[in-house]
Amino acid sequence: MKGGKPNVLFLLILVPVIIGLLSYVIPNRFAKPILILSQFLLCIFSFIVFFSVKENSIYLTNIGGWPDGYSISLLADETSAVMILAVALIYFAFLIYAYHQPYFESQFMFLFLVLEGLLMGLFLSGDLFTIFIFLEVSTVVVSILIMYNKEKQAIYDGMIYFFVNVIGTAFLLFGIGFLYRTFGILDIRAITEMMTFLNDPSAVFIPFALMMTTLSLKTAATPLFSWLPKAHGTPSAPPVVSAVLSGLYIKSGVYLFIRFSEMYAPIINMNHFFFILGALTAIVGFVMAIGQDDIKLLLAYSTVSQIGLIMMGINIGTEIGYIGALYHILNHALFKSTLFLTAGNISEEYGTRNIADIRGLFKRMPGVSWITLFAILGMTGAPLFNGSISKYMIAHGTDLPSVTVLLYVVNMGTITTYIKYSSMFFGKSKQAKKATVDKCSMAGASMLGLGSLLTGLFGVQLSEFLFNYHLLVDTAEYVQKGLIYLLMISAAFLLYRYVIERSKILYKIGHIELTFNGIVTSMVGYFIVLILFLRLFI
Amino acid sequence: MEAIRVEVVSIIIFFIGLYGLMTNKNILKTIMSLSIMQSGIYLFFISINNTPESVPPIGSEENAVFADPVPQALMITAIVIGIGVTAIGLTMFMHYKQKHNITHWTRKRSDEGRKT
Repeated sequence: MKGGKPNVLFLLILVPVIIGLLSYVIPNRFAKPILILSQFLLCIFSFIVFFSVKENSIYLTNIGGWPDGYSISLLADETSAVMILAVALIYFAFLIYAYHQPYFESQFMFLFLVLEGLLMGLFLSGDLFTIFIFLEVSTVVVSILIMYNKEKQAIYDGMIYFFVNVIGTAFLLFGIGFLYRTFGILDIRAITEMMTFLNDPSAVFIPFALMMTTLSLKTAATPLFSWLPKAHGTPSAPPVVSAVLSGLYIKSGVYLFIRFSEMYAPIINMNHFFFILGALTAIVGFVMAIGQDDIKLLLAYSTVSQIGLIMMGINIGTEIGYIGALYHILNHALFKSTLFLTAGNISEEYGTRNIADIRGLFKRMPGVSWITLFAILGMTGAPLFNGSISKYMIAHGTDLPSVTVLLYVVNMGTITTYIKYSSMFFGKSKQAKKATVDKCSMAGASMLGLGSLLTGLFGVQLSEFLFNYHLLVDTAEYVQKGLIYLLMISAAFLLYRYVIERSKILYKIGHIELTFNGIVTSMVGYFIVLILFLRLFI
Repeated sequence: MEAIRVEVVSIIIFFIGLYGLMTNKNILKTIMSLSIMQSGIYLFFISINNTPESVPPIGSEENAVFADPVPQALMITAIVIGIGVTAIGLTMFMHYKQKHNITHWTRKRSDEGRKT
């Protein structure tokens, strides 16, 4: 513990909750400016925490005055400080977006800000039981936010989300029980130290499998992603809710995956397994995304695919790939939130979410189209945009040609998905008149959209600033990648125009879905596969 | 009798609950199975570092084997959360049942048709 440092980390968790409570009590017209102001202050505060972490590499608060390792601790290290910064800044844009929206009333504000506090808590907490509590409470809050409009479909989707995730966290709690029985301690750093003294890795096989089942569920890995499109793509959920779920909340699962695999790293190394799982997730994600007609569902399945790409980067085994994956987490948070926010505007204006019915967007909503275009360019990895930097880094993490080809396939799939998505820019709209879009929502969305350009332009400097990683971008190679990108776009366009648009199979694949019992059964199956894999190969 | 230990029983209870979740289509039974699964976990935690001779960790007895207080404290928290989760699950179910009269996990998104 660094001496003389005030214990202020808990403020990051508590302040949003208290402000949310306050805005629940006082009238709306006072609450909204207070909300924006306090969020701005929170951004500044998270910058302070970030700089302090940059200086000292760790910011630790032990609650209750117990010795380190035994107490409940809040911990900001290099990764979590970046995450906290991202949460604070992106939430700021969300609040501006939602400022004039009809659903932005006291009850919604309260839940929305509580979710921010819980996200901060998930990124900060340093012991297992606190993580369990934050996961459980955030599940409750998220499911209420999903069914906020109380529509039939939304309640059904929210219930599936709720029960599946509660079962998932029960797996985590059981795993924590096994770990506590072995080590008698709950602090992650203390357990990491004690792991090295274990002679036999089989002692922690069961907790590892239990906890990884939970995290694979939270990160929506291949067999377990069925809940994600339901939750993120619910028709009637407010756009900011979908954006926060897809942009930020899903990242808490990825972050916990990083933390837990670091914890088990001294004795269990399953990089290859999770790399292959990530690749499968990425491929299944884009195949199903192409089959969607609903813009929100398309974006939700594309999230599955991108999380797969992030998992590939994390488990690729080299530093540049890992940093690239972290950078892609931030980038994905930026452009996917933008896409969900603008999708909200678009479906509100057109009164439909079916891609085939939305045409002529550039004429009808020029501002929204430009923001969407920025986000799409970021997502597909166009030169100068942020996706290109993180994908460049992930691609540099490997020397194997097979993996490089795999990454190209994934990127090709992403591009094809967004060729389909961008088909709504063109054509003729039934109503030629320009639409009026709420100014605040435009401001919020364009902050994030421009963010995906700026984080691309200053990618090298940002990776130095955020991750202390000196990135060398080879200009010739970067230009070459840009040319490949152009080639891939034209190939994807032809592929879409002549193959995919006419294919019935993809539509059918896209509409395969598991029932509730199917999801739970696949969870148990996944758990058994993990146990078998550990027994056979570790 | 040695084979029947508390941990074994708790693991069996956990998997009975899980079996119920995998096979039952009734939402109410899902909530019940969830509670059964969670009580298995509570039992498992309580059994950690606990022998028949151990005494509650209160008072100042010397030479006695104290039960580990940490899992008990954790489980009080977890039980409270479990009650909250059950209550919320039941509320959702009641709302859904009263409004749409559906009690089972059968409906698929594709059955609904993509309207609006």
